Amino acid sequence: MNSIVSIRDVVKEYELGTTVVQALRGVSLEVMKGEFLSIAGPSGSGKTTLLNLIGCVDTATRGVVEVAGKDTAKLTERELTDLRLNTIGFIFQSFNLVAVLNVFQNVEFPLLLQRKLGSKERRDRVMNLLEQVGLHTHAKHRPSELSGGQRQRVAVARALVTDPLLVLADEPTANLDSATGNQIIDLMKELNQKKGTTFIFSTHDHKVMQHANAVIRLADGKVLARESAKDAVAHALSLGEAPAEAPAGARV
Amino acid sequence: MTIFDPMLWLIAVRSLFQHRIRTSLLGAAIAVVTALLVSLAGIYVGMKTTLLVSATTLMSGHVNVAGFYKSTASSSAPVVTQYQKLREIVQRDVKDLDYVVQRGRGWAKLISDTGSMQVGIGGIDIVNEPGFVKVVQLKEGSLEGLKQPDGLLLFEEQAKKLDVKVGDKLTFSAPTFKGTNNTIDVTVVAIAANIGMLSSWNTYMSDTGLRQLYQLNDETTGALQIYIKDISKVRAVQESLRKAFAAEGFELMDTDPRPFFSKFDGVNRESWTGQKLDITNWEDETSFVQWFVTILTVAATTVIFVLTVIIGVGIMNVMWISIRERTREIGTLRAVGMQRRSVLAMFVTEGFLLGLMGTTVGVAIGGLASFLLNNAAIKLPKGAQLVLMSEKLIVAPTAGWVVFAVIFITSVITLISLIPSFLAARLKPISAMSHVG
Repeated sequence: MNSIVSIRDVVKEYELGTTVVQALRGVSLEVMKGEFLSIAGPSGSGKTTLLNLIGCVDTATRGVVEVAGKDTAKLTERELTDLRLNTIGFIFQSFNLVAVLNVFQNVEFPLLLQRKLGSKERRDRVMNLLEQVGLHTHAKHRPSELSGGQRQRVAVARALVTDPLLVLADEPTANLDSATGNQIIDLMKELNQKKGTTFIFSTHDHKVMQHANAVIRLADGKVLARESAKDAVAHALSLGEAPAEAPAGARV
Repeated sequence: MTIFDPMLWLIAVRSLFQHRIRTSLLGAAIAVVTALLVSLAGIYVGMKTTLLVSATTLMSGHVNVAGFYKSTASSSAPVVTQYQKLREIVQRDVKDLDYVVQRGRGWAKLISDTGSMQVGIGGIDIVNEPGFVKVVQLKEGSLEGLKQPDGLLLFEEQAKKLDVKVGDKLTFSAPTFKGTNNTIDVTVVAIAANIGMLSSWNTYMSDTGLRQLYQLNDETTGALQIYIKDISKVRAVQESLRKAFAAEGFELMDTDPRPFFSKFDGVNRESWTGQKLDITNWEDETSFVQWFVTILTVAATTVIFVLTVIIGVGIMNVMWISIRERTREIGTLRAVGMQRRSVLAMFVTEGFLLGLMGTTVGVAIGGLASFLLNNAAIKLPKGAQLVLMSEKLIVAPTAGWVVFAVIFITSVITLISLIPSFLAARLKPISAMSHVG
């Protein structure tokens, strides 16, 4: 397998007034094409920051971030935008759909930005994806007319519509109930297996984590381990982290 | 994604529709300003048109060949000699000529049984004055009477002051250009509706009658009034005539853009004697009333400017609010691959659409208001009548002004929306996506 993401000694610092906060402290990471990788860790561990750097929506303070063989620090704003458009798909925790566009138009939007396909090809591809995510009958609906799970499925379709090499999902199930969350993860997994698309998703939910091929465990801005999903879940449970859907009293 | 992309327009339309109260308020404000601009333009055009038609028919041609004859250095008469020859040159050299008429000019005391007044006299050859017949609206009598040497046309106001009606006899008394005094009896053959300032001080009689009063020969008249088919060529015609007359040996006065009656003092101070020609245009001859048009133009422009600034500030604020509300959306769109210029285009499209919708409604309102004002035939105050040469308010917005209003206001709004749009486009995806609010 080839590497699609290569991160070396990456440091990310934020300035909060006079204080400098280190969100990532020398992170190194290789992600291979076709992986279904989870980034796990508690809140504040640096999961979102890491995804943002890989997604080229933020830049590292120090270190090297290479995506699809390109050193993102050396790219112009325009080139970074093109890289995001053509190589990366995003799935956000809060879905982030365009409220004034319907389901079809939301999914079609990245294709319009790419300007590579004609209208019929665009339509076919969008409808095909909507069928895969089970929303082809909702193509004309606005996001406000959909449930949380349906919205996230639209977001998945939007992320995949350009056939990206890499899909980044920041806690894609955080705003969903566990059944719907599982459906989304199953959908992502299915698309990963069918198309070979690389998925990197952050989560602190064991049930979500267990679907991954591998888990990167982060804490305090550092990679603690790269391990199998089974080991990562076991480790998390040994630390007393309850599954996300469990009531507070069920913590062990 | 460019400004022509349907998706940008769709987002813009739906965003405007989603905030329909805000859009309606702002659109209404734009519509009001546009309607005001269209209506004011209509009043301006109406005034200009009325002034042009009235003045160029009753007191001036599009271009005038007039001048002064001085028998001594200190006395001048506003006449041109050899006018037949001058007319031939005009007919030969003016390519765009519609028609040319000769007018006598005079200033005399008009005496009735009950009163008298100083009036200007236009000596006209009614048979060859097609425009005059169209402009003058008769209240009483007939213009046919002006074919008679003693026929006189008065305006309502003058007839009222002199207490005369059609058929009554009056007397003109005036110093001739030879220095003696002369009187002739005239008969009121027609009374016309007032035409602004002209109604106060100008009368018309037959050219023959005027010659008798001033004892002029057949080769002398007050001015040749030249009407051309394309009024925009006035200055070119003036220049070509100056050259043509100079080539034929006529003396010419320097170009002086004032009406002929303002030039007496200056001419009388000059040492020359004999005939000098003065080539003027209709704007020169009506410059004494043009100040009113200028003032109205300045006032209207100021009002429009102030309103546009107010609307502009409103637009900018609304765009700020819209961008604040949609910061996360901007971040998302940037994250999924929308370039900065497309974000800029998206918001500019919104500003443009808002402007276009507002101005379109405004044009419709302005057009309707103009139509209603015209139909209402609102009588102008006396002062306004004097300078506008019209009793009623005429509002006549042209297609050109309507297009200008739409393009100008839409452009201003689009340009104003560029500032917040530019700042929206500069937002970093990560900052925009993490925006709270």
